[in-house]
Amino acid sequence: MSILPVRLRDIRCRFGRKAVLRGVELELGPGELVGLLGQNGAGKTTLFSILVGLLQPDAGEREFGGRSVRDIDIEVRARLAWLAHDPQLYPLLSARENVELYVDLAGASPREQPSAILARLGLAEVIERPVATFSRGMAQRVALARALILEPELLILDEPFTALDRQGRSLLAGLLRSETARGAAVLLSSHDLDVVASTVDRALVLDGGVIAQTLTRADDEEPSSFRHRLASGLSGPSFEGSRP
Amino acid sequence: MRLWRQTWLLARNDLRQEARQLELVMTAGFFTLVMVVLFAVAFFSLDDDAQAKAVPGMLWLGVAFVGALTLTRVFGREREANTFNALLAAPVDRLAIYLSKLVVTVLVLALCSALMVPGLGSVFPAAGIFDADPVALVSLVLLGCIGYAAVGTLFAAGLASAAGKNVLLSVILYPLTTPVLLFALVATQRLLEGHAELWSVLAQMLALDVALVGVGAWLFESVLVGAGPRANPARSPRVSS
Repeated sequence: MSILPVRLRDIRCRFGRKAVLRGVELELGPGELVGLLGQNGAGKTTLFSILVGLLQPDAGEREFGGRSVRDIDIEVRARLAWLAHDPQLYPLLSARENVELYVDLAGASPREQPSAILARLGLAEVIERPVATFSRGMAQRVALARALILEPELLILDEPFTALDRQGRSLLAGLLRSETARGAAVLLSSHDLDVVASTVDRALVLDGGVIAQTLTRADDEEPSSFRHRLASGLSGPSFEGSRP
Repeated sequence: MRLWRQTWLLARNDLRQEARQLELVMTAGFFTLVMVVLFAVAFFSLDDDAQAKAVPGMLWLGVAFVGALTLTRVFGREREANTFNALLAAPVDRLAIYLSKLVVTVLVLALCSALMVPGLGSVFPAAGIFDADPVALVSLVLLGCIGYAAVGTLFAAGLASAAGKNVLLSVILYPLTTPVLLFALVATQRLLEGHAELWSVLAQMLALDVALVGVGAWLFESVLVGAGPRANPARSPRVSS
């Protein structure tokens, strides 16, 4: 059973006295590529953590494929992939071993072998090297390979473009488009408006603990125009060039 | 089936990393040896009767210290690279995470006990460790280690992302494992005394272990990610916005 569409209804979460999420509503369907924008501390990572089951909300409902889910169980987790802000890889294991461990744990037979997907991500020469010796950008690519290898229905990416060079960003953008083309839903966060404007179909602005704005890119809209609209809807120093 | 496969894969993963670094084995192993040497120097002059009474205490004190050290490192490795969150978000049965950490902790404790028991037996021959029933001795040490690790793994996991966790772990771990250690201590005294009721005590230890592992397995997921919509966020893994 598919976990799409994903719906969050009135999600609330507080840490001590601070209410981070105050009633988030979100819907994500197959083939959608959605960006989540917000200043530092807006609650983007908290929202992602609630989506992947690392955190229980204080209130609200999570719905996957029309099924309301109290705990993000293993069946749901098997159909989603999460790329955290940090790569979360075992430094003593090689790139291949890190990806293989994930595949073995899932008990899946991926269409593409770990070494093949790592090579596709430009890591062919370093597949057997321990991740501890990798640069941040290389580790990010390994984490991306781990996220993509099982062809998840839902991809949640927290600042995926961070630490990637221009080539890596372009590669990632292409990969995300391929994922949505096969029907996966992608939700990503980024502070880079240029990347967001050229990648996503829809942008959600998280502000004050709620989705304060939704901006949808028109079919024939140029990235520069969409970027201008995104920048107009945002303010604050945490966004790169947030002024139009 | 999936649970056991994932438990094996996760335990193998920990052991593979340990084999490449030997951090845990070396630290715990040398700590054990130093402890035996210190006990030997400090208590060498004990008379025969006192040796028999003191050795069980030395053994389980050693297990308690090595256990705390082991638990800190087993979860510290996951915490440093933040891989614990990756595991929690992966299609992995959370019980498999608990069981794998339990297995690794018990293995390290068993390894250190394999150094400590003969070491104490050699230094304090009057305690009669080498005269004890070897099957009973091995069973007793394993049961004690499992009981200790069952409680320790649960709380070490819960504190794996908390600030100042090492202090918290010690504060929580020692009081909670005291009953297990006391049980093991009494059983060891009976073993060395050649008490007829030893197997009955071992059966009770087995029952206690089953109960502790059961409680640990039952509570593990709640301790990690909260129990429900009104869970306390402070108990959940640390996140940043």
